[in-house]
Formats: sequence, C-alpha cells, structure tokens
Amino acid sequence: MRIPAFLVVALLPALVPLRAQDAGVTHADWPHYGGTQFSWRYSALDQVNTSNVKNLLPAWIFQTGDYSEYLGSTPIVVDGVMYLISASERVFALDAAKGTVIWQYRYPTPRRGIAGSHSDFIQNRGVAVSDGKVIFGTRDNFLVALDQKTGREVWKVSVDDPKQCGCNNLSAPLIVKDKVIVGGNGGDQAHRGYLTAFYTKTGRVAWRWYVVPGPGEKGNETWKGDSWRYGGGAPWLTGSFDPELNLVYWGTGNAAADFYDADRVAPGTNKSRDVNLYTASVVALDADTGKLRWHFQEVPDDLWDFDSAYEVILMDRQIRGQMRKILVHMNKSGLTFVLDRTTGEFLSSFNAPELSNWISGVTEDGKLVGRDEPVLGKTKNLCPSTAGAKSWNSMAYSPRTGFLYTPTNEICNDITPNDSKPSEGRFYMNGDFPMRLPPNRSTYSHVDAWDPVTSKKIWSVPYKYVLLSSMLATAGDLVFTGDPEGNFFALDARNGDRLWSFQTGAGHRGASISYSVNGRQYIAVTTGWQQTLVGGGVVGLFPEESFRDGSTLVVFALPEGSR
Amino acid sequence: MKILLFLVIGTVANAQSLPEVLKQGESVFNKSCATGYCHGARGTTGGAPRLAARGFDQNFINNTVTRGVQSTAMPAFGTALSRADLTAVVAYVASLNGVANPAIVSSGPAGPPAVRLSAEDARGRDLFSDSVRGFGRCSTCHEIAGIGIPVATPIAKVPADAAALKALATPQVSTATVGSESMPALMVSKKADAVIFYDLTSAPPVLRTETPASVQTGDGSSWRHSSVIGAYNDAELAAILSYLRVTVKP
Repeated sequence: MRIPAFLVVALLPALVPLRAQDAGVTHADWPHYGGTQFSWRYSALDQVNTSNVKNLLPAWIFQTGDYSEYLGSTPIVVDGVMYLISASERVFALDAAKGTVIWQYRYPTPRRGIAGSHSDFIQNRGVAVSDGKVIFGTRDNFLVALDQKTGREVWKVSVDDPKQCGCNNLSAPLIVKDKVIVGGNGGDQAHRGYLTAFYTKTGRVAWRWYVVPGPGEKGNETWKGDSWRYGGGAPWLTGSFDPELNLVYWGTGNAAADFYDADRVAPGTNKSRDVNLYTASVVALDADTGKLRWHFQEVPDDLWDFDSAYEVILMDRQIRGQMRKILVHMNKSGLTFVLDRTTGEFLSSFNAPELSNWISGVTEDGKLVGRDEPVLGKTKNLCPSTAGAKSWNSMAYSPRTGFLYTPTNEICNDITPNDSKPSEGRFYMNGDFPMRLPPNRSTYSHVDAWDPVTSKKIWSVPYKYVLLSSMLATAGDLVFTGDPEGNFFALDARNGDRLWSFQTGAGHRGASISYSVNGRQYIAVTTGWQQTLVGGGVVGLFPEESFRDGSTLVVFALPEGSR
Repeated sequence: MKILLFLVIGTVANAQSLPEVLKQGESVFNKSCATGYCHGARGTTGGAPRLAARGFDQNFINNTVTRGVQSTAMPAFGTALSRADLTAVVAYVASLNGVANPAIVSSGPAGPPAVRLSAEDARGRDLFSDSVRGFGRCSTCHEIAGIGIPVATPIAKVPADAAALKALATPQVSTATVGSESMPALMVSKKADAVIFYDLTSAPPVLRTETPASVQTGDGSSWRHSSVIGAYNDAELAAILSYLRVTVKP
C-alpha cells in the first residue's frame, strides 16, 4: 500500500530540516544543472509516481539536428521555457509543454585549438540561466551570454586560449548570486587548472582561483621544482553553492602527469595527506572573493587518473545524534566522502564499486591505505578504470528516502606508465591505459541506493553493460536513468524494482530532468551515445553491441485524462 | 636554385630507412594520437576508433590525418605537424594496417615552417603568452603566430623600446556609455540593429553587443596601453619587442 504523500511530508521535518529541503528541491522549474545549487537532481513533483509511471508516454520529441556528437547536456527550465544546448553549441529555447522553438542560436564554427588535445573533443554539458541571460562555454573556450528572451548575443569573453592551453570549458556554468563560475578541462595535459568567476551583468572577471598554487602561495611547497606550472588539477565539472555559508564547493581534477609522479612529487614524500595541492580535492571557496576557505584532498598523489572533479551534493543530516551540514562527494574511483561542509572535517566514507584493488581501504580519519601505484616499466591491471566507477554523470539524492542513487561501473584498466616530458597544452598523461573487462562476470554495472549517513548499500540493480547517464529522483519515489542500449527506465526509489522502461532509439550519455507546465509534470531525457572519450572507449569492450549515436530530447508525461 | 636546394634537403630527410621512419612515426603517434582518450597505444583501443588492422590503405590514412574529419574530434594534422612527422605517422598507421612497405617519401603541402629564434627572442615569445601571468599577458588581446586572442587588430608596427610601448597612442579606443556607465571601448562594428564593441574596463576584454538605442559612443578615452602591461618589467618588455620584430610582417 502506498503511504499517502501528506503523511510522508508531515514526517519529514524530523529527518531533514526545512532549510536544506527547500534549497535542494526543484518544483515547476529546473533552474540549475544539478536541479538546484545543492545538486540533488531531485524534483518535488509527484504527479508521476510508482503506481502510474507505467502509463508514461512521449509528449513531444525534439531533434537538435546537430549530430556531430551526443546530446549530453542537462536542460534548464524556467517559467515554462526550456533552454537546451547541443554538442556543437546550438542553443534552443523551447516551449516546455509543446517542444516548439521560441528561438535558436548557432555558435559560429570555432577555430580549433591544439591538434590532438582536449580542445578537439565536441560535447557540451549544459547552459546556465540567470539575470535574463543564457550562459554557456564553447569549444574555443569562450563564455557566451545570450538574451534569455531573444537568443541574441549579449556578451562573450575569452576564458583561455585553446591554441595554447589545449583546453576549453564545456560543462554547465554555476550561477552564484551576481556571478557565473566556470572551470575547464585540460588537467590531463600540461596545464594548470583554475576556476573563474564572471559578473553575469557585464561578462567582466570577478576572480580567478588557481587549483595549483603559485610560488609564495600556501600549498606550492607540495610540488617538486617547477612542476606546479603544468600540474593539472582542472576542475572540469560543475560545483555547488550554499548561500547561507556563502561558500562555493568544487571538485578538482587529478595531478598531471597522471600515471607518473617522479617529476612532481619529491622522493620520500609522505603520501597520507596533502600531496600536489589542491588536485584531487574538494575545495570550499568564498563566493565573493574566490579565496580558499578549506580543502579536503581525497587522492593525495593521484596516480590513477581518479580526479575528484565530480558533483558535490549538499545536505543537512543527523550524524551520530547531531544535525550536521554535510556534503557528499564521489570521485572517479567510486570512493565517496562525507564531509562537514562548514569546516571540511572528514566524517565517513563508502566505496561504491565491487572491484577496487588500487587501495586496500580507508582509515577512520579518511586516509588511503594499501596504495597499489602504477610503476614505470610495468603493466598493472588496476580497478576501477580511468573511465570511472562512475563517469561525470551525476548521482541523485532523495530527501524522502534519504538515499543517494548512483550508477557504478565495474571496468578495470591496464596501466603502463612512461616518463615523457611536458609540452604546454599537450596531453601529459604519461601512460597507456586500455580498459579491460574483469573476468568471471556477466554484468559490468549496477544502479545502487546508498545511505550516506550509515555508509550502507540499501539495494543494487545489476546491468549487462555500463551506465553513463545521470540519475533523476522524484517525490513520486521514482529514480530515472538510461542505458547505452537506448532504454530509459524508472526504478522504485525504495527498493529498486523496475517499474517502467521505454526504448528511445539511441544510447543514453546525458541526463534527465523533471518540471511542470500548467500543472502537468514532464520528464525529459537527452539521448545519443558518445562517440569519443569514455563513451567511445567502452564500445570497444562490447563489440557485439551497437550503442547508437544521436541528438534527440524525448519528453514524457502521463496522457491527458489519465492522471 | 632555391627549389633545387629544397629537393636536396628533402632527399636527405627521406634517406631514413623504413624502420627509422616507423620509429619516428610511433613517437609522433604516442604524443599526438595514442593517448588513451583517443586511439590508444599501437592504435588498438581508446575513446576514438581503433586504427590497427582496419584494412586502411595509406592514401586514406594520409587524407584523414592531413585534413581531419569534419565535425568530429579528429583534427587536421596537416598544418599541425612538420612534413617529416606527418609522413612518418602516416607510414606508421599504415604499418598497423598490414601495409608491408609503406611509402616514406613526403608529398603534399608542408607543415608550418620552423622559425629559428635567438634565445632572447624565444624568451620574448614565451613571455608574450606566459600563462603564469594570467590575463596580464600580451596574448589576452594580441594574436601572434597563431597564439593569442585577436581582440586588437594585428600588430603592424613594433615600438622601439619599452618606453615607446608604454607611451603608445591608442586613438582607436573610444568611450561607450551603456545606461549610466561609461567604459573604454574598442569598436568592432556599428550596424542598424547592433553595436558591437570590446569593453576594455578590465582584462580580458568583453565583446558586448548592444542595440544602437542602448549605447552612446564618443571619441577618445582615458584608457592607456601602459595600464595593461604591468605584469612585465622593462627587460621582459624588451624581450617581447625583440620577438615581435622578428615575427611581425609589416
């Protein structure tokens, strides 16, 4: 029997205080990349629920016409208008109830950056909407603001020169009050990562924070010689924001070179804490000044390309009898940290993948033990792979269940390091790392529900191939995601039961959202399998399958009259 | 005479044996193509298509490597690699596809010519786009030899010294007023429906698009070039000017 929704809501304040509840939940709109600036990817809409989800049907479909790469961006919905960006920076404003085009904008074909660098890859993870503007990053590393009403360009500013850094910014910008903050990629290259804040009104720079501190700055002493110059650490995804603490939270990328550390770590360095700061860390920055308030390094001397660049989920929960403002953060290894978000204090951790041989464990104060590092001149089979126990796609969090929902992949890789020297803007991974399927398995991924407070896995649903699409949780106790075969499906948030599935025609490498217009709840999902990078890489693991390309948005709702 | 000399050099370069060329090709491949996010070592795996044992012939490989594949991540290496490197990497990929005796004689257009710089000029080049100086570097607004953001029109005349650089007259900088705010502006275009200009208030400049009704423009500005080159000392500016003198074509 389904518990009436009002009863559950009435019980909630005992579990989660109203403030975090309000800050993390979306309603009619889907205003930010992560739903809200707390990055829950959770909608309070419950018109579609566990009992009627079986009736979901497409309400409208939108083909972007941009088939250069997959549609992987998270749409933004504000006041019944959806803002969607395709891989080659075509931006659309759509009537979110009907899918008709209100305006569209095409970014002119940009000049290419360094041949064979990160700046060659084509993808875009989303726009940000604020201050009457639609803001997005481009392949040639500009940040562009369009007029939200007309789609006309308002301002455009260069974040960096892709012909020199080989980098660009293709993740959704984060809106923080009167500013828009962007990171960038290039941390697997000879490059020094940074976050940059621009004023939404004028496009002028407000502040820049370098992940790798320069000479004279605290943390620079954790770098050997001049290695800080090309130390990587690029914060290539989207952060979070707590308005009450006025702190911006961001995950930073791996140190460069990835698989070989002799040029960046002094011999005899204690690797239990703070090596090559502030790479592979979660950082908290003052939103107004960009000054570092605290950091927590998850992978000191990251030798596995595990990054820590992923989404940061903010919530308030009872921990050992005390209400705490916490954040939950998974890095590419699947190791997930629970920290006090006021101070950065380590509270607990859990490890999502079943196969994890790069460490033997984590101490009670959050230190890695039993590191199995890549070694020059050897090939080691290490798990998880650089593709990630989870890729960059986001988890979801439901305040109704208190659980996190995450896809987890069980893929390993053979890492063979080399000792190449850096060349600015060129790849500086220093190793080969072909992905390998682990032996004696018939499934290579699973969707899991985790309780971040007890570090317990609540349920797990296996899947044959890999899962590289973001999760969506709703107040209808549903969890949505898609698979590479094209199925978009809904699980029961409480027990993982598969309640509904729809074949959308192309693989899922993007995200789904929920919103409402005139009282009707919609669930929108991007489709199209990624042809390069991780998406392209896993295709080689499953040669018998065709994970289909495309660039189509499919929007579902309950049929009129059946609600 | 010049042509003859070029041919002689070409012959010497191609005097490498096949194993030497393939070794060079593998080295180029490892730096530019093999990274695991692309084609992987020996073209066997990665995020981009497998290249080994695909039955590609050398002509196809040469065309693809030289021109790239439009609207994909595959760049055109024809202008990014030297001719010798291009030939070597094509031969190497051909060898991965079972071509027993790949051609190792260069053909087609050469890559960018190598410019020999003195130590001082090379230092000037590095300073011009020094990423440690953030937005304070010259390449924030100037593009030279393919590096930098072309905000300013191409540099046509190089100032004699650091003092002349600081005193540089900038009559093209005007003043734009949007609402109640005035700002130094570099006008790009004025059309019936849009006024497009760079706002030079802070670095990096911001390209603004305004409707003609929303912006007023006036000649002259208090903006000075000397106010944006403070990231360099005089010796560094001298090195940059030295580099510009050998690079800028009047």
